[in-house]
Amino acid sequence: MSSARMRSPLGRALGLGSARDGVDAWWRERVSAVALVPLTAWLTVSILMRADKGYAAVVAWLKLPITTTLMTLLLIALFYHTALGLQVVIEDYVHSRIKIPVLVGMHLGCVALGVAGLVAVLKIALA
Amino acid sequence: MIIRSSDEVSRTTVLKRFPVPRNFGVDAASRIDRGRTWPAPRGATRIKRFDVYRYDPQSGQNPRIDTYQVDLDDCGPMVLDVLIWIKNTVDPSLTFRRSCREGVCGSCAMNIDGTNWLACTKFNADLATPATIYPLANMRIIKDLVPDLTHLFAQHRLVEPWLRSKSPEPERERLQSPQERAQLDGLYECILCFCCTSGCPSHWWNGDRFLGPAVLLQATRWLVDSRDEATGERLDELEDPFRLYRCHTILNCTRTCPKGLNPGKAIADVKKMLIERRS
Repeated sequence: MSSARMRSPLGRALGLGSARDGVDAWWRERVSAVALVPLTAWLTVSILMRADKGYAAVVAWLKLPITTTLMTLLLIALFYHTALGLQVVIEDYVHSRIKIPVLVGMHLGCVALGVAGLVAVLKIALA
Repeated sequence: MIIRSSDEVSRTTVLKRFPVPRNFGVDAASRIDRGRTWPAPRGATRIKRFDVYRYDPQSGQNPRIDTYQVDLDDCGPMVLDVLIWIKNTVDPSLTFRRSCREGVCGSCAMNIDGTNWLACTKFNADLATPATIYPLANMRIIKDLVPDLTHLFAQHRLVEPWLRSKSPEPERERLQSPQERAQLDGLYECILCFCCTSGCPSHWWNGDRFLGPAVLLQATRWLVDSRDEATGERLDELEDPFRLYRCHTILNCTRTCPKGLNPGKAIADVKKMLIERRS
């Protein structure tokens, strides 16, 4: 702690310097959000329309090439956006040594969930 | 709702503080005790109660809230007038910064009725009863209402808030068209009172790395200055997940700016410039 107190205020403010990074994550978060607006609206309406149509009707709908395409796009955009958003939350609030492990675990978890969703969609489509 | 200026915020505060129990999660040394009550002078008729945060590091005691019964007929209309009246007639140990008493120096920024504002431009008539006066939040307190601004000024120094030019020094003034000069409106008026930075949750959690609204507004002021020739380097220095992108457009800064500026928009403009230069 003594070294932290002896360091000049400017030195402390400068820290490790600018990462020259962050535009990309910020921009991708906005773009994926824009993509999710029509995709989630489409999914919500589609599911509500089939609420009382039964299992077979929903499977038949999922097998349509357009549905498979949109579901794939939705899953990618959704879990990409989730990972970027959670990264911001973790960077905001986690200040201990577990920050980096938590970030890595969160990203891997989002990839795993996204892949699981894609496998399910493709399995139905190709079955 | 997107706020564009503190003029749009209602003058009265509905909720002075977030409704959690007092001293919730506060470590023992920072616990705020009840202090003493100073009665109004004899013969006073128009009395208003002010609860003021007091802290003296040399006493070895915890911070406390002192209650002052203020004779409004004996002092001016502003919160700063009340503080000066208390110091002159009741309790000379009350410590606060002040200088210009007209909202241009930024010294008397403090938390008044739950909102950061300049004591010299806040009317007593707009305050609740009792009125509460605390120092700016999220700062080390030197004494009473005087916060330690060292780190904030170091962050201000970090953005090199001066003209950086590469052209040979001109014989005369560096010229600017009226339109170019107009780009600085809404930015140059900042008086560095740090009401905004003190009210910014992102700066509470990551103030060591996030520059905060006041400093980022100043950075914008030099980014848009037509005479400055270091725009690229300035953007390089700002492009950082913590220095700039901790801003989540919460807009507490814009709500609380006593000069009616919009630091939230200034930061959004920096983000736009960073997109512009790569696409």
